[in-house]
Amino acid sequence: MNELFSLAVITGILTSAIRLATPYLFAAVGEAFAQSSGVVNLGVDGIMLVGAFVAFYVTLQTGNLWLAVLAAALVGLLMGLLMSLISVTLKAEQGISGIGLYMFGLGLSSLLFKLLVGTVQTIDGFKVIKIPLLGDIPMIGEIFFQHSLPVYAAFLLVPVAWWFLEKTTWGLKIKAVGQNPAAADSLGVSVDKVRYFSVCLGSVLAGLAGASLSTALVNLFQENLTAGLGFIAVALVYFGGWKPAGILVGALLFSTVNAFQLWMQVLGVNISSDVAVMLPYLLTIAALVFATNRVRQPAALNKPFERGEN
Amino acid sequence: MKKHNVWMAICALLVAALVLTACGQAATPAPAAKVVRVAVVMPSSTTDMAFSQSMYSALVAVQKEMGGEAAMEIKYSENMFKVPDAAAAIRDYASQGFDIVVAHGSQYGASVEEIAKDFPGTTFAWGTDVNTFGLPNVYAYTAAAQEGGYVNGVLAAKLTTSKQIGVTGPVEVGDAKTYIDGFVQGVASVDPSITVNKTWTGSFSDVALMTEAAKTHIAAGADVLTGSSQSVVGSIGAAKENGKVLWFGTQSEQTTLAPELVVASQVYDWTAMIKEIIASRAAGTLGGKTYTLQLSNDGLKIVFNAGYNLPADVKAAADAAIEGIKGGKITVNP
Amino acid sequence: MTTPANLQKRIQRVEMCDIVKRFPGVLANNKVCIEVNAGEVLALLGENGAGKSTLMRQLYGLYRPDGGQILIDGQPQVFHSPADAIAAGIGMIHQHFMLVPTLTVAQNVALGLKSSREPQLDLERVSKRIQELAQAYGLKVDPEAYVWQLSVGEQQRVEIIKALYRGASIIILDEPTAVLTPQEVNDLFVTLKRMTQEGHGLVFISHKLHEVMAISDRIAVLRDGQMIGSRPAKGVTRDDLVKMMVGREVKPLAPQPLQTGPVCLGISGLRAMGDRGTEALRGVDLEIHASEIVGVAGVSGNGQRELAQCLAGLRKNTAGTIQLNGQDITQASLLERMAAGQSYIPEERMRDGAIREFSVQENLFLRDHAAPQYTNGIFLNFARMAARTREVIQQYSIKAPGGDTPIKNLSGGNIQKLIMARELSRQPKALIAAQPTRGVDIGATEYIHQRLLEQRANGTAILLISEDLDEIRTLSDRIAVMYEGQIIGIVARGEATVEQIGLMMAGIPLQETRAKASA
Repeated sequence: MNELFSLAVITGILTSAIRLATPYLFAAVGEAFAQSSGVVNLGVDGIMLVGAFVAFYVTLQTGNLWLAVLAAALVGLLMGLLMSLISVTLKAEQGISGIGLYMFGLGLSSLLFKLLVGTVQTIDGFKVIKIPLLGDIPMIGEIFFQHSLPVYAAFLLVPVAWWFLEKTTWGLKIKAVGQNPAAADSLGVSVDKVRYFSVCLGSVLAGLAGASLSTALVNLFQENLTAGLGFIAVALVYFGGWKPAGILVGALLFSTVNAFQLWMQVLGVNISSDVAVMLPYLLTIAALVFATNRVRQPAALNKPFERGEN
Repeated sequence: MKKHNVWMAICALLVAALVLTACGQAATPAPAAKVVRVAVVMPSSTTDMAFSQSMYSALVAVQKEMGGEAAMEIKYSENMFKVPDAAAAIRDYASQGFDIVVAHGSQYGASVEEIAKDFPGTTFAWGTDVNTFGLPNVYAYTAAAQEGGYVNGVLAAKLTTSKQIGVTGPVEVGDAKTYIDGFVQGVASVDPSITVNKTWTGSFSDVALMTEAAKTHIAAGADVLTGSSQSVVGSIGAAKENGKVLWFGTQSEQTTLAPELVVASQVYDWTAMIKEIIASRAAGTLGGKTYTLQLSNDGLKIVFNAGYNLPADVKAAADAAIEGIKGGKITVNP
Repeated sequence: MTTPANLQKRIQRVEMCDIVKRFPGVLANNKVCIEVNAGEVLALLGENGAGKSTLMRQLYGLYRPDGGQILIDGQPQVFHSPADAIAAGIGMIHQHFMLVPTLTVAQNVALGLKSSREPQLDLERVSKRIQELAQAYGLKVDPEAYVWQLSVGEQQRVEIIKALYRGASIIILDEPTAVLTPQEVNDLFVTLKRMTQEGHGLVFISHKLHEVMAISDRIAVLRDGQMIGSRPAKGVTRDDLVKMMVGREVKPLAPQPLQTGPVCLGISGLRAMGDRGTEALRGVDLEIHASEIVGVAGVSGNGQRELAQCLAGLRKNTAGTIQLNGQDITQASLLERMAAGQSYIPEERMRDGAIREFSVQENLFLRDHAAPQYTNGIFLNFARMAARTREVIQQYSIKAPGGDTPIKNLSGGNIQKLIMARELSRQPKALIAAQPTRGVDIGATEYIHQRLLEQRANGTAILLISEDLDEIRTLSDRIAVMYEGQIIGIVARGEATVEQIGLMMAGIPLQETRAKASA
């Protein structure tokens, strides 16, 4: 048990946690954009799957990781357009269309995988890049500065997303449209345009989340690779109170507990593996329960906008 | 906005999703007379490089041997990880008049017991388990996974330098457990001071977590990894990235995933069993028997990676272990 | 941020000619013509549903006219969206404020505008400009404050600043006084005067006659989608305007003095917490007799809402007692209170009083559907319910196409009549009426007032909570003024002037206001 608190183990846990948080950050920050504008996109997991497959397949064929990332972003965009069309233009119930999008993504990625690849293969994904100097600091270097590019990108995304939401005219529009679309409309802001933009941006990030999974974390693709990760990401958005920093805390909390339970098992701590596996989810639920009271949910979340109803 | 447009859009999307999923099923031409019709229901995909693939490959091999689709029809339902879906598929196949329905998953036992009673003329085979429920038309099959586990354990113990070995898997049940138990015994037979650490992730499909579990073992000092089940591909991915660890596979030949890492794999070979079930059925025996894949009946094989430069003394130790188990000199407890 | 196109580019004249606007089943505007000139206030007067807001929403680009044209300084204009109207120099202050509560004042103002440091916001610059405008027009507001922290009056100032910031020279104000206290109305009028002096043209939508007469230069009256006529404000009388609006004479109410009965509703030492976690009621003592209307006046947010909710049984009190005809109902549930003979007309009629998506009939029977005459215990007797609904629609002159119309298609006045019908049909012993005529037109207001007086004559004890001081002064036998969760003073009808009540509302006790008056 004491071993669990040695420096080496703590370093190991935190390194794992940082790595594990990557796809959650991409997906949840993306979802935060969509939700801030008032659209719940439950199709994140489906978009991630298609993104993960496309990135994997392009790497397999060309070996070009940048092309792979670009392709994942592009399919994310296409699926985002589809989601926007259904939920913004056609004003369909968002929860149901999101689930539809998820099933579509799950089916499409499985089909393409079978048709084009067939069997599990591994690829050479993003290599770990040790940041000069910083990466040599004991412990800190290993935890924070010895990762692959997508991991760094995910963490850089947090302040960038914060800046975008809080400090730019576009962020202001997104938040206004999510809180009071009629107000934004009355000032000449196109509610539909802002929602299309936010949903598509979120979907691009979901595509990248999938790519980070298949080209940096596991370096392969198999059917249903995400295993519901996208839904946890949606929960993290609520947990994080629609704020990038809150999402970061949530993602790290979740991944740290996950890494902690893995280490617990490796070190032979005498606890049933079932209980260990439950830990991160129990914690997520508990955190959500306590988080709901303090968050400020976009008031127009899940509500299609039609002019003149007030 | 017109409501029905919206519903049309949603319906179209759902249908598209279903069609796409359905397209994954292999289409087989209509059977001619006298064809043996075999259906298999599997929890994961036919390309999982593990449990489901081992059964599917065996069926295809038998089909080829018997003379192709003219002699034997194969239909399959994959990714049936939800038991109610699987039960529906099993019943469908039985009512469509398939001769043999293979329920390839220990979680399908209760469904088989219930459905087999309604179709006394159909042969059911299920595993891995030993229970035929006392029904005359049910075969049960299992693999003595501990045997190959033992051999892999001997090899692993000889090759580790850090004296730390990591094991990953989804849940601690079935042949996943017996394989690991055998593995631990094999390791201990060489050097009892070697530590074997185990991690269970609780999910059959969460590759990311499985990968992280393997990385955790590596970070903790393990230089040899093994594990069972479908999601093991994730561990191989982690081992491949690290480049310095060795991997021992089970259920299927896993060399292709990481040729430079895989030392040996225990391979399940169901062909002999399938042939025997088909033959027994032709002779009038519909079931009532339990099969066990073993090294001694060639149901289990240890396949070495030709590309891995295995020291001769280590290979000799493994061969000795195989012979010892076959000859009964070594007993491995499941 | 873009600097507003200032004085040099002021619009001199806006004309709307022969405007036609149809909604499914309704002709909202039928060949309406109006004009507004720089430096004047045009009042647009009319009952709810007369088409005032619809007309102005077309000028602001929210709706496209089906016919007619809009001219600015003689040039025809087509507005596809508010963005076009804003660019042309039109601004609009909506009745329901178009503000995002979770954003600051400066953020609300900057919303949708290009920034000088695009794509970055430059809120400092926005704040500075807001303060300049605030100074110039007498609109005191803190640019850093969050909108949810602001009072209703302050929020309205933000709305005005939003329009001015965008360089609007013609500004439409849709029922701007509906939510303001008398003092706030005065402040607003000062601002409006200053705006006209600066060369702005204003359109003032209202149905409050004395305000319209006080602020406007010209008055245009709409009825049922048609322009009835336009008059200079000078020399026009209240009766003329009412006749134009309603199409008939409306006599001012004069409640007959009545012999009040014994105490019916007794409140003593009532304390309760507010939503924000502070104490909203700090010991309220009040007695309401049978055949008596007690009006509760006060600036909004001084505990009136919490008092109504406590009495209705929607909010837990922390101390004190409530008695109904001698029976202690402090701990009684909603249902028990109803059974004891209490009725409640809630302040937020759409939130607490009715269900938007439900039909007139369904809303009417929200409570009484289980009464023996409408059900045999299992099934509802729809025929009888429909008959009763028709009866009520007629009796209360509710303007609705039929009993199955969803009430979201009804005007505020008609919804309120429906709620009145539901609550009064039980012949309550005590009635809590919270803001019964807020946002309701003259015709319906008159009707509701008559009904309240009728109830009073029938012996009901009525607690009337209202922010409309005229309403309170007209109807109440006694007026209780609330300040910071307490009743600061009670006066009988005619005992105190508007000014004295206003001072009490500001927290100055009656003795002092009298002392002031005599000094």
